[in-house]
Amino acid sequence: MDKLLEIKNLHARIGEKEILRGIDLSIGRGEIHAVMGPNGAGKSTLNAVLTGRPDYEVTEGSIVYDGKDLLSMAPEERSWAGIFLSFQYPVEIPGVTITAFMKAAVQARRKAQGLPEMKTPEFLKLLKEKMAFVQMKPEFAKREVNVGFSGGEKKRNEIFQMALLDPTLSILDETDSGLDVDALKIVADGVNALRSPEKSAIIITHYQKLLEYVRPDVVHVLKDGRIVRTGGPELIEAIEKGGFDQF
Amino acid sequence: MGYGNYIDPFAALRPDYTVGAGEKLELTFVVLPGESRDIDVAIDLVGEGAEVSLKGLYLCGGDERVNFRILMHHRAGGCVSRQLFNGIAGGTSRVTFDGRIIVAPDAQQTEAYQENHNIVLTDGAHVETTPQLEIYADDVKCSHGATTGRLDEDALFYMRTRGVPEAEAKVLQMISFLSPVTESLSEAERERTNQKIITLL
Repeated sequence: MDKLLEIKNLHARIGEKEILRGIDLSIGRGEIHAVMGPNGAGKSTLNAVLTGRPDYEVTEGSIVYDGKDLLSMAPEERSWAGIFLSFQYPVEIPGVTITAFMKAAVQARRKAQGLPEMKTPEFLKLLKEKMAFVQMKPEFAKREVNVGFSGGEKKRNEIFQMALLDPTLSILDETDSGLDVDALKIVADGVNALRSPEKSAIIITHYQKLLEYVRPDVVHVLKDGRIVRTGGPELIEAIEKGGFDQF
Repeated sequence: MGYGNYIDPFAALRPDYTVGAGEKLELTFVVLPGESRDIDVAIDLVGEGAEVSLKGLYLCGGDERVNFRILMHHRAGGCVSRQLFNGIAGGTSRVTFDGRIIVAPDAQQTEAYQENHNIVLTDGAHVETTPQLEIYADDVKCSHGATTGRLDEDALFYMRTRGVPEAEAKVLQMISFLSPVTESLSEAERERTNQKIITLL
């Protein structure tokens, strides 16, 4: 079967501390995977390595995404190739409006793909359409990115950007989430709406709550830097009942 | 004034501007890459209700030497002064900011604010900021704030994950950092200033 993402024997560290200790994980096109694990299991590190966050060093192993060597790509190149990371704590960018930010993102990707710049009216139409899709109020287009946003508004902004950039692989970092039910539903609706036979998602999470709204095809248990169990959605229930100690 | 070897940077400064009752003064200083400058400004607020807005920005990418010496002297009561100086230092540039606000004993109900924020891009660049308040009246609102830091790595990474290239993400962040100052410029001047930012990378 054609895999979208193939992680082999991945070892990674931050500073002197080895956190990922040999991860194997492969994701098919159209699949949604959940990676669950207790605090300190390596969930944030896995996320950081997938998206190319500086400071994390891969010491061994490989990641192939859509036939490409992911680890040799800069964060922006990963975005152009169709990877999107939804942040658990989206960052504020004072002085930059959502419109300016998304315009820069869209035009940079088109440039990288050898396409001409998108005309402003066409871009604004797309922006409006995607904001409506996630039920974001139109006035947010002129707001500075995440500045003064509530937790729910930040989440909605993440899902809006996801919808606009239309990723092939979405990575949702809900590692230690204090999401309320409304924010959970925003995320879930966004992910469910983007489901298609070509698109995949990884939900990295501690809690099963989000997974009640987005049913994953495959569930992985991450513990001490390794995947210790892989199964179907029935694993969620097992974790709910018996915690992570049983693995 | 002399305290041992201490040389008062303001000792020789004579007022460049005198702002009288009900008058308004607005000034914006722009120092672009490649310019070494000493910007000395002394302002006397001498009549009730005088208002001063002083802004400035600098962009240094080479071995520039830029020194700001700002003296805001509130001699009369009921006056307002606002100062905002933001700048970005790269290369091996040296920037100093000496800002002093003096509020005379009779200058009650003074409002005086001063902000100086700096981004240092390289290990070779150096910024020194020395805000000073000398307040001799008791019924005043005065504050000063000074910060010196690096570009925000978290914001840069966030922008990159959305496909904004690293250089462009840095430029966007620098444009937004300067925007409280550049908003006071004409559109042409603002454009010219923003165009220069990329030369700092």
